[in-house]
Amino acid sequence: MTTAAPPATRNLETVGLTKSFGGVHAVRDATVTFRHGKINALIGPNGSGKTTFFNCVTGMIKPDAGTVTFRGEDITRRAPHKIAQAGIGRSFQLCRIFPRMTVLENMLAAVRRTRRRELLKGARNAEEIDKARALLVRVGIDHLENIEARNLSYGQQKLLELAGVLMGDPDTIMLDEPAGGVNPALVGRIGTLVQELNAEGRTFLVVEHNMEMVMSLSHHVIVFDRGGPIAEGSPAVVQSDPRVLEAYLGV
Amino acid sequence: MLNASDARPAPGTSGRAPDDRAVAAGRPWGRIVRVAALVVGVALVLAFPTMVPNAYILSAGIVVVSYACTATAWNFMGGFTGYVSLGHAAFFGLGAYGTGLLIRDVGLSSFVAWIVAGALVLLVTIPVGIAALRVRGASFVIVSIAFVLILLLVFQAWGSFTGGSDGLVVPRPFPDLLRPEHHQVFFYLFAALLAVMLVVWWAIDRSRFGTGLKAIREDEDKAQALGIPTRNYKLVAYVVSATFTGLAGGMYALWFGDLDPIFQFSIMLGSYMVLMALLGGVRHLFGPALGALIVGSGLEYFKLEFGDTQLHLVATALLLGLVVLFMPDGIIPAVRALLKRFGPEDSSIREVTAAELLERNRTASHDAPSRDTASTTAAATAPATPTTRQEDGR
Repeated sequence: MTTAAPPATRNLETVGLTKSFGGVHAVRDATVTFRHGKINALIGPNGSGKTTFFNCVTGMIKPDAGTVTFRGEDITRRAPHKIAQAGIGRSFQLCRIFPRMTVLENMLAAVRRTRRRELLKGARNAEEIDKARALLVRVGIDHLENIEARNLSYGQQKLLELAGVLMGDPDTIMLDEPAGGVNPALVGRIGTLVQELNAEGRTFLVVEHNMEMVMSLSHHVIVFDRGGPIAEGSPAVVQSDPRVLEAYLGV
Repeated sequence: MLNASDARPAPGTSGRAPDDRAVAAGRPWGRIVRVAALVVGVALVLAFPTMVPNAYILSAGIVVVSYACTATAWNFMGGFTGYVSLGHAAFFGLGAYGTGLLIRDVGLSSFVAWIVAGALVLLVTIPVGIAALRVRGASFVIVSIAFVLILLLVFQAWGSFTGGSDGLVVPRPFPDLLRPEHHQVFFYLFAALLAVMLVVWWAIDRSRFGTGLKAIREDEDKAQALGIPTRNYKLVAYVVSATFTGLAGGMYALWFGDLDPIFQFSIMLGSYMVLMALLGGVRHLFGPALGALIVGSGLEYFKLEFGDTQLHLVATALLLGLVVLFMPDGIIPAVRALLKRFGPEDSSIREVTAAELLERNRTASHDAPSRDTASTTAAATAPATPTTRQEDGR
């Protein structure tokens, strides 16, 4: 849920973010401002640094230089769990769930935990189970709640991962290739979910190769090449930008 | 399209009703059986010292219960977080020597020394844990072994303080008791310690903290991305695990009365803990204790039969091999799966008549076209009926 959106249009931004592995600049001086309350898409050819950028923002990788600011607060180099608790949820490129836990347990593991004294509270309390079930209904896998997550199909695991992220009530959701490896019907379903959740006020940042999805879904597209943004704007603007065509087609 | 094995009842039909009734009928039975088993188990443990024919069997019983303590203590770390420590004997030794030295050199009374030694193990574990938990997987195993080996060398070499290889004699807490009575008291003390550990393990298992630990076991990075402070969680589990192991060691010192670094800081002891926990089932409250009962009894028997040969080690190794090969999740899940297979209302395919199926498909196609993608794929992957899964709703 949005809690009184700040007047500015920016809630997540990076300035001069840089990360290199050995001599390779995976992310180079990336300064990006994401539109608050919108669906932002991050596209670019393979190896253009999108996932590394993602990992720097969510704290999984410590950037060499630059800053990440979320709602006016510097979150650079914070531990991943602190960033998650601050309200940024994320999914992984190769969907990650807890394989040997049931679907419902997966959801309960994702409960937001900020108050230390509640830690010894029973994990299976009615309030959280209700919330988990409501989210499972929403993504359409509520009938599987007692199945071990490893027995789910890949598409169902993707839905579970998304539902798990929602358990933490994130203000901003970062999805790394939500349409990767799932069938077209499910791509449509995930797209619809993203739009609904966005309509409720959640900001999205989506890395995606499925251009059809990107162009139909997003409000703001940022194009990465060689570790940094080379163009941004509405889908229509980006699609006709010569720099983008060059990066993608090499012409 | 639904098919006969679909676990999802279509909306609007009474498809769910039979399941619910089965759940309502099946659950209390499961609970009654469980409570009855618990009562019988506790009664057997309490009655054991009065039933044994001689003091030797009683002392073997104490060894088994002390193994159950160490394996259960190990399982706070190994079971919840999946971090396999082969060096937990380090904490056993520290607790044992701490207790002994506090009595001998500081002059504390036996059980005060025991508690203080437990507290010291707790304090020592914090920096050790911070260092050791920086690595995962195989590296963590190596670090844990290194720690116990370092302590073994220190305690052997520092003879003036620890008694070295000559051993350390720990004064008995109840000098007036005869030998059988001494054993009897300690059997109950170990059993009480085990009970405390089981209660704590149970409480963590069902808590949010426990869910977080299990998430770490499943996928640590993912857990952290969901907001779980993984480092602190692991550290707490490690410290709890080590402290309980230390308390078990201290209790052993008070009972046995003679310590030697080679036996207290022993890789074998650490390996036994892992073996017992794996054998019983690390995801289950009573798994390690059950494993200890089997391995511990076996070890004592082999020692009795084959005396000074190392055959008991060979037997242990064989057992470990068999467990890893055939029951990777331990005895409890294996037996449970077996019972399920022969259980009455637990066919993996729900039987539905053709008429029912037709009716359902008709309703489903009316009702939820958008859900279809999810539920068709679900059909193939959802063999178990909700009934059986509900039983696990601990």
